Amino acid sequence: MTAHTDPPNDPSPQDDDEHLPCGRLLSRVWDAWEQQADDPHLRSCPHCRQAVHGLDQLGSAVLGLREEEAADAPATDAAVLTRRVMDVVRLELRPGRPLPLGEPGEDLWITEAVAARALRAAAETVGGVRAGSCRIVGPLGGGPAGDRAAGAVEIVLDVHTPADAFLPHLADRVRDRVRDTADRELGMAVAAVDIRITDRVDPPGGGKEGRTP
Amino acid sequence: MAGARRLTAPPGAYGDVAGDTDDSLLAVRAAEGDEDAFAVLVQRHGPALIRLATRLLGNRTEAEDAVQDGFISAWRALPEFHGRSSFGTWMYRIVTNRCLNVLRGRRHVASLELAGELPAAEHSASPARITEARDAVRELRDALDLLSAEQRACWVLRALDGRSYEFIADTVGISLGAVRARVFRARRCLTQALGAWR
Repeated sequence: MTAHTDPPNDPSPQDDDEHLPCGRLLSRVWDAWEQQADDPHLRSCPHCRQAVHGLDQLGSAVLGLREEEAADAPATDAAVLTRRVMDVVRLELRPGRPLPLGEPGEDLWITEAVAARALRAAAETVGGVRAGSCRIVGPLGGGPAGDRAAGAVEIVLDVHTPADAFLPHLADRVRDRVRDTADRELGMAVAAVDIRITDRVDPPGGGKEGRTP
Repeated sequence: MAGARRLTAPPGAYGDVAGDTDDSLLAVRAAEGDEDAFAVLVQRHGPALIRLATRLLGNRTEAEDAVQDGFISAWRALPEFHGRSSFGTWMYRIVTNRCLNVLRGRRHVASLELAGELPAAEHSASPARITEARDAVRELRDALDLLSAEQRACWVLRALDGRSYEFIADTVGISLGAVRARVFRARRCLTQALGAWR
């Protein structure tokens, strides 16, 4: 026996539609029922009423099925699902490029994804800021050999900010936190921090607390 | 250290960390390789997707597998996602189509023609309304197996999940007319199987 599937180009309902004894198409009667159309014929015609009664019975069974779902279904343990999914995801990580840290000549690296996580978290210590994309461009090079600036990177960070924030001031604070974390915690030389504000949102609950560093 | 994470996060930790962070930001982070952001999305959307898959497949274990597979394929595809729709809508589409493939792969023991041979419910002689309602639900569950994969998916999204025809067409990737045709056929089959229509 073969799998039971429809052809990709399904014909219209008319192909297996039927005319009720009153002349109405069953599909049209059911459409009218679904749209709760006010049609006097549907109320008075015994054939149409019978057809609609069939859908009403199906509707009752659907309600019963929903009630059984609510009563029978075990509550989904989101933590279990998350663990199962993440067990596989962690076998397929995308760490990104290795980026140089420390002084020139040192063999010290950090992956782009790990650095980006730290920089986003730094940005979110500013009240109401939530970070999205964090691209690390470079190292840019161009400086004298052995100069730390030659290994400097440019950070491009997208953030959502509170709707009422004064943006130049807020951007400066975000830039300072990001630069500070890059310098003090990661030991990453930064040439520039570009902040792109991609949305201004009302904070949920009116709170503007920054993340704990 | 800012942004450092625990190697083994306790249950619920992901939701606590980014409970108020927008899906779109989390999806971008995940696309850039932040698996913790992806874990928050899994935790946030998992339960509703398992409910959807259970409705489509009629089987909880298969539904959980379909949702797990859906999230894993989403992790792989995220770098090309680019936020063209919301993450939730994207996952809904992924899980629906994964369930459709499961349904297509099932080998049916009953064909559509058997629908007419099912014993009709004797509603006029029912002993008690509660029993009748339970019977109707059981008959409906059985009758869903008579539908083609596409009919079942369209009908479930319409009748059980309350989605618009336009949303279903977009999710399943077929025309509006094809969705309407499949819902119509599903209704005919189901009402016949329930003895509610000739």
